[in-house]
Amino acid sequence: MRYFSRYNLRLNGLRWFLFITIAISSVFCAGCQEKGKHKLPGFLYLRLNTNPTTLDPALIVDVASANIAAKLFNGLVRFGERMEIVPDIARTIEVSPDGTRYSFELRPGVRFSNGREVAAADFKYSFERILNPGTKSPRTWVFSRVEGAQEYMTGKTKGVSGIRVKGQNKLEIVLDRPFALFLQFLALPTAYCVPKEEVEQWKKDFSFHPVGTGPFILEEWKHNVSLKMTANPNYFDNRAKVLGIIYRVIPEDLTAVYEFSSGNLDLLSIPQAEFRRFITHPQWKGLIKEAVTLNTYYLGLNCRKPPFDNPKVRQAMNYSVDREKILKTLLEGRGELASGPVPPVLLPAGETVPGYGYNPDRARSLLKEAGYPDGFEIKIYQSSDQETLEVLEVIQQYLEKAGIRAQIIQREWSSFKEALNKGEADCFWLSWWADYPDAENFLFPTFHSGNWGAGGNRAYFKDGEIDRLIEEAQRTIASGKRLSLYREIERKIITQAPWVFFWHKKEYVVTQPWLKGVRLYSLPGVDKGTQVYIENRIKNVKNPEDRSQNSE
Amino acid sequence: MAAYLLRKIFMLLLTLLGITFVTFLLIKSLPGDPVQGLIGERAEQATVERIRRELGADQPLLLQYRGYLKLIFTGDLGTSYYTNRKVLDDLKAKCLHTFELAFAAMLFASLTGILLGTLMAVTRGSILDRIGLLVSAGGISLPVFWLGLTLMLIFSFLIPLLPPSGMGEGELIYLILPASTLGISSAAYIVRITRSSLLEVLTQPYITTARSKGLTKTKVILKHALKNALLPIITLIGLDFGSYLNGSVLTETIFGWDGVGRYAVEGIMRRDYPVVMGTVLTGAAFFVFINFFVDLIYLYLDPRIRVRE
Repeated sequence: MRYFSRYNLRLNGLRWFLFITIAISSVFCAGCQEKGKHKLPGFLYLRLNTNPTTLDPALIVDVASANIAAKLFNGLVRFGERMEIVPDIARTIEVSPDGTRYSFELRPGVRFSNGREVAAADFKYSFERILNPGTKSPRTWVFSRVEGAQEYMTGKTKGVSGIRVKGQNKLEIVLDRPFALFLQFLALPTAYCVPKEEVEQWKKDFSFHPVGTGPFILEEWKHNVSLKMTANPNYFDNRAKVLGIIYRVIPEDLTAVYEFSSGNLDLLSIPQAEFRRFITHPQWKGLIKEAVTLNTYYLGLNCRKPPFDNPKVRQAMNYSVDREKILKTLLEGRGELASGPVPPVLLPAGETVPGYGYNPDRARSLLKEAGYPDGFEIKIYQSSDQETLEVLEVIQQYLEKAGIRAQIIQREWSSFKEALNKGEADCFWLSWWADYPDAENFLFPTFHSGNWGAGGNRAYFKDGEIDRLIEEAQRTIASGKRLSLYREIERKIITQAPWVFFWHKKEYVVTQPWLKGVRLYSLPGVDKGTQVYIENRIKNVKNPEDRSQNSE
Repeated sequence: MAAYLLRKIFMLLLTLLGITFVTFLLIKSLPGDPVQGLIGERAEQATVERIRRELGADQPLLLQYRGYLKLIFTGDLGTSYYTNRKVLDDLKAKCLHTFELAFAAMLFASLTGILLGTLMAVTRGSILDRIGLLVSAGGISLPVFWLGLTLMLIFSFLIPLLPPSGMGEGELIYLILPASTLGISSAAYIVRITRSSLLEVLTQPYITTARSKGLTKTKVILKHALKNALLPIITLIGLDFGSYLNGSVLTETIFGWDGVGRYAVEGIMRRDYPVVMGTVLTGAAFFVFINFFVDLIYLYLDPRIRVRE
């Protein structure tokens, strides 16, 4: 159309003008975002990949919530640097020789963040609250062994007779039978102390307005966006060396990597896809820290259904797969091979339990002995996760060589768990992560026949002798004897092979160069966040006690 | 006219009721148990059964649906199984964030798309037109998650102009990347629709008549041609805006934007039924009302529709 030709000329000019303006602006603005520009000075910035569901200790079941709650609350005891039990609000701990009576004297002067001093009655309230059906706590198992707990939960009594207030600062807990792990249970988030008046004021909203005794106080929670805590100036123990912590909810791993690289996060748990890049990058490789986390990855075998009701078939499964090769290649060595269900760090200084090596010939001969000379077909269930699928596809190839034809069934997480808890799956890929640092946590919930399904024993494994040994170990207070029992139980479980034992994964985090004092722990909910500090980048002063010098 | 409007409103309400019923049946027929996520990895069976009873998950389906309808008619969308927060309260905050994102995305898409489409139509066959067609094809084809991460790489990492993610304290700078990501594919469609619609209008005899009357080229295009070309563009903008108001889970996930899309998907993954029902109902309501509003705009723009109705 000719009459638009002058229009075209004006447009050409306009286009060039816009292009040049944008180009100049871009160059001018390049670098105008300094690293970490959007951060508050003196605050630690961490990532969450999902919004915590609750900060009410009675309701916490997820790792994100447990990690945050550890900074807001305290219990009678907690886990120390080497996962040993150390006093927290309790100043002294006495255990009766028969292991049923626990006496605590509280430190004086410990206060909730609302100013009120903690008393023994607060612990009685907090613990009974867990068992109260109205609270709907899923962690009643933490206190179910306390004398009178069952009667209280069924409404027969108004209080738990085994939790006794002996004075303003004295508490006694009596169990219905000896249980060696009770102190470890008291270190769990479920056993944190909460103030009754705040719980009753906020009711269900206490989840979002937590009040505790911890080194940090929740200041603001923008759900699904961020959570801000400030240091508690009246904390009774070692105070925080940062002004506060801000957790940012960043669901996408690559976004978190960009945020970290831009200086907006101070610490990052390295996503698998970025692992190689970080460990080879000259800027970051010296800042990577490794932690052995307490977990076991496994292929669970449904011991109620053929063919896995036959131990020889289960052993054949263990011999069929070269787990070491998969760990070295697919997972780039980010773990330790598992010979049994218990991470080796929990069974120290003992005889190494030999696990199953890769031996396809042995696998085939076991299958023949079990009556499956031509192999069989199975379905392996997994939750829809790309890393797991890659591992299972390799496992599928190994099983095929042994004559086992496996079909991988991917299910979304909720439906996957339902299938497992109902015992529908022949075989499934899962991991078990510790709540507390004791071998019992990898034996009782996962292999005792009283825990079939949702209790943790998703392989539906049953062995009367193993049940008996586990119960005996739980009653055995002497740690040396208990460890011997654990080793014996583990040996029997390895022989019975209700799982194919794969590995114990390690966690890798990378920190910013200005972040100091970082410690990694094997369990969620242990880190109080009081050791870490931000080095002043301008003055290069490293005085952790002087927080004013630590502002950026 | 009044009868037409009443008829539309009645159909609107019936549609919403049907949507709640179908959604309820669909979500309940999915495998998966909401209680499993609430109890963690280890729980006593008695605890599982007790929680299931308290959620009402053991009741017959029709009773559960009836209970839900009772809640809706009192203006309550229920309480999340996981967070114990009122779904309505959560949705109010998230809908606002989603509206911000959707509005910004559509503003960007509309301005960019209409401007570029107009330029392409009036310079048909030129280099601008050809480049525009290529770029718009790219905008339509590129997956949004790739686009978002690429824009983040360029503008937050390589040339650190913009924050990578988050919402800050509500500053506009945090909206730029997610709105651009979301708006680019809409802009690409709008460019093409604008171009083809305007080209068709420009060939009409009344455009030649308007030019021969002495009107300037700008006036001819903006007042006569574009107005008549707007109908399909408005339809597209309305449809896209409606779908963005339902949340854009990929964009929200990549940029950490607290919107309805992520809320709904997390609810589905967890089988948090009140959240799913609440978000579907709210999203359907937005969509239905937006389309109703578009119908009203049609009535205004096109007198023929007014006469027909």
